[in-house]
Amino acid sequence: MFKYILVNELRALLYTWKSMVWFLITSVIFSFASYLFLTDKELSLLDQSEMLWLLSKVIIGTALMIITVDASSTITGEFEKETAESLFLTPLSLKDFVLGKLLASLSLWIAIFLIAVPYIIVVSAGSHVTAAFIMFVLMLGTMLILGFQMMIFGISFLFRSSKNTLTTSLVILLALVLPATFSSTLKNNPLSHFLSVTNPIDNVFSSLDNVLVDYQTTLTGNLKYVFPVLIFCFAAFAFMLYSTKLFKRSGVVKND
Amino acid sequence: MHRKSFLTLLVISLTVCFASANSLPADSGSVCSPPLSMSILSKLALDGIAGDYVTVSAEIKNISAKTITNITTYLSLADEETKLPVDLEDWSAEKGLFIGTIDAGQKFPLEWKIHFVKAGKYSLIIIAEIQGETNVLTSRVTHFAVSPKHNLNPGQVLPVALGMPLFLLVIMMFAAYTRRSRLMKSQ
Amino acid sequence: MNIAVKTENLSKLYGQTMAVDRLSLEVKNGEFFGFLGPNGAGKTTTIRLLTGIIRPDEGTAIIQENLPAGSIEAKLIAGVMPESRGLYEWMTAREYLSLFAHLYSVHNAIKATDEKLSIVGLSHEKNKRIGAFSRGMKQRLCLARALINKPKILFLDEPTLGLDPKGQEDIQILLKALNADGVTIFYSSHLLNEVAMLCSRIAVIHHGKLVAQGTISQLQEQTGLTNSGLKDIFLKLTGD
Repeated sequence: MFKYILVNELRALLYTWKSMVWFLITSVIFSFASYLFLTDKELSLLDQSEMLWLLSKVIIGTALMIITVDASSTITGEFEKETAESLFLTPLSLKDFVLGKLLASLSLWIAIFLIAVPYIIVVSAGSHVTAAFIMFVLMLGTMLILGFQMMIFGISFLFRSSKNTLTTSLVILLALVLPATFSSTLKNNPLSHFLSVTNPIDNVFSSLDNVLVDYQTTLTGNLKYVFPVLIFCFAAFAFMLYSTKLFKRSGVVKND
Repeated sequence: MHRKSFLTLLVISLTVCFASANSLPADSGSVCSPPLSMSILSKLALDGIAGDYVTVSAEIKNISAKTITNITTYLSLADEETKLPVDLEDWSAEKGLFIGTIDAGQKFPLEWKIHFVKAGKYSLIIIAEIQGETNVLTSRVTHFAVSPKHNLNPGQVLPVALGMPLFLLVIMMFAAYTRRSRLMKSQ
Repeated sequence: MNIAVKTENLSKLYGQTMAVDRLSLEVKNGEFFGFLGPNGAGKTTTIRLLTGIIRPDEGTAIIQENLPAGSIEAKLIAGVMPESRGLYEWMTAREYLSLFAHLYSVHNAIKATDEKLSIVGLSHEKNKRIGAFSRGMKQRLCLARALINKPKILFLDEPTLGLDPKGQEDIQILLKALNADGVTIFYSSHLLNEVAMLCSRIAVIHHGKLVAQGTISQLQEQTGLTNSGLKDIFLKLTGD
């Protein structure tokens, strides 16, 4: 039954122009970044692998931002617009509801990734890591985005308000993005090193660095980075399960 | 008077020298290098452009009459412009090479694959250390320059940078037109 | 199979407020059951408890003899027009209703959609965006949604609220026809004349407690207002 929720969400994304505007903004950001990398006299001095690494940061960063904004209103919008009650009056299960919403939100990432592919190809022209890089951006990006979506859905079920969910999600995103931008010198401290090895965003960028600089293009060669991202996904899933349990207990409508 | 002054200066100088010699650390008098010799073989081949991979070749020789065990050799790189050591994390996957044993008078080849990550002027040395010994052996400094690699590629990026937003705009307009005409038709 | 809805000591607490307080009532199959109460009496909460939108703190509610309220089986045979009329404004009426037809796994969803839109008088507006609908049209669409699964029991929370007299009459006629076809109707409303005209039996709830139930003549007897209308009975039962 999740497919009806998925189709409905995809229609909403298309018919309400929301996603189209996002895609357009995304492509403008990617165009701006890749054009600067390849035409600016200073930036074009960057090594190609460094350029690709920066481009991957732009791609995943833009996607994370858009997904955070979208996912924050996907579930909460149903409560705020009072459409949730009519949906849960049908035999639709909470599992199908969440799955449909999750896949619809994930489709946004897939679209952003597809938009990014031509840019990756142009920036990586002449490099032999293009295919591996694209695969790693897709794999790691999907895992990271999925983890974020589940975490945001969990917050949504707790707050049922898009404003509160968005604020909380953005704070979490910022808390994870900022340490990932620290230089390796700053990460030598035991605490910051611990934060670095457990931070999913940091691990995604470290893995892409591993692919681009050290040519470690196999999954086994990147396991130490992929593993923390997987753990983040499982933690986000567990949190979402917990908050849906609380949601079930308090009912679709929280108060009279 | 002149001779007297000269003698006074001599006495002062000798006193200072003696005092200086006494103030040296107790073990400094026993400094001696490990019985090894080391030479970099690829000194002229190191220049390149950013992104290149080069191999640093060196040779280590046991110049003593005894077998030497547990030798570790590693690279050290310094940025000549910033005067700071370079973190080799991205430059070389194998920072240290361990040599179990070198027999008396024998040579051992050393090789490091280096990735020129960033343009600049660098100096490289190889250090050899014998486990348990206080002193290390260093090679002489090899200087090399990594020239920048320009990735100017406006010809390829422009069609994508302009084409993708335009392509999406066309899709947006097409989707809007299709939905509108479908709704108009069905009314 | 005579019992359509049965509650026993059904209770729901919101903070310090007892929204529904040990409510026990029974609705028989085929009945047009009126559910009255002043604002905040617990009518909407009761309907939400009966349709599984919220869980009771105490007591039980069953639908169609033995189906627990809120179970998939109960949802499949119940149609609900809840108090909140949330609609997807960007959709057309047809798209909206067919989504619900699919969610109820209705056989031949598009045909059922067009049929229900025709029943509520929205055939000509089926391809219009819901955002462009008037309040009355939105009410009709909500009713069509409640009917999409051919329910045996209809829970209606203020279905004619905000409608003009013609709209109210249309819905009353439709509900009478549905009841005549055997559909049990659990009808919550403020409009006492409407309830008196449509309902065969009435329950009055106040501060979450059932204060009276029966036919109008039984309510007249219970209150001692033998020649009075429903308005006086209601005021007497709910006057603090």
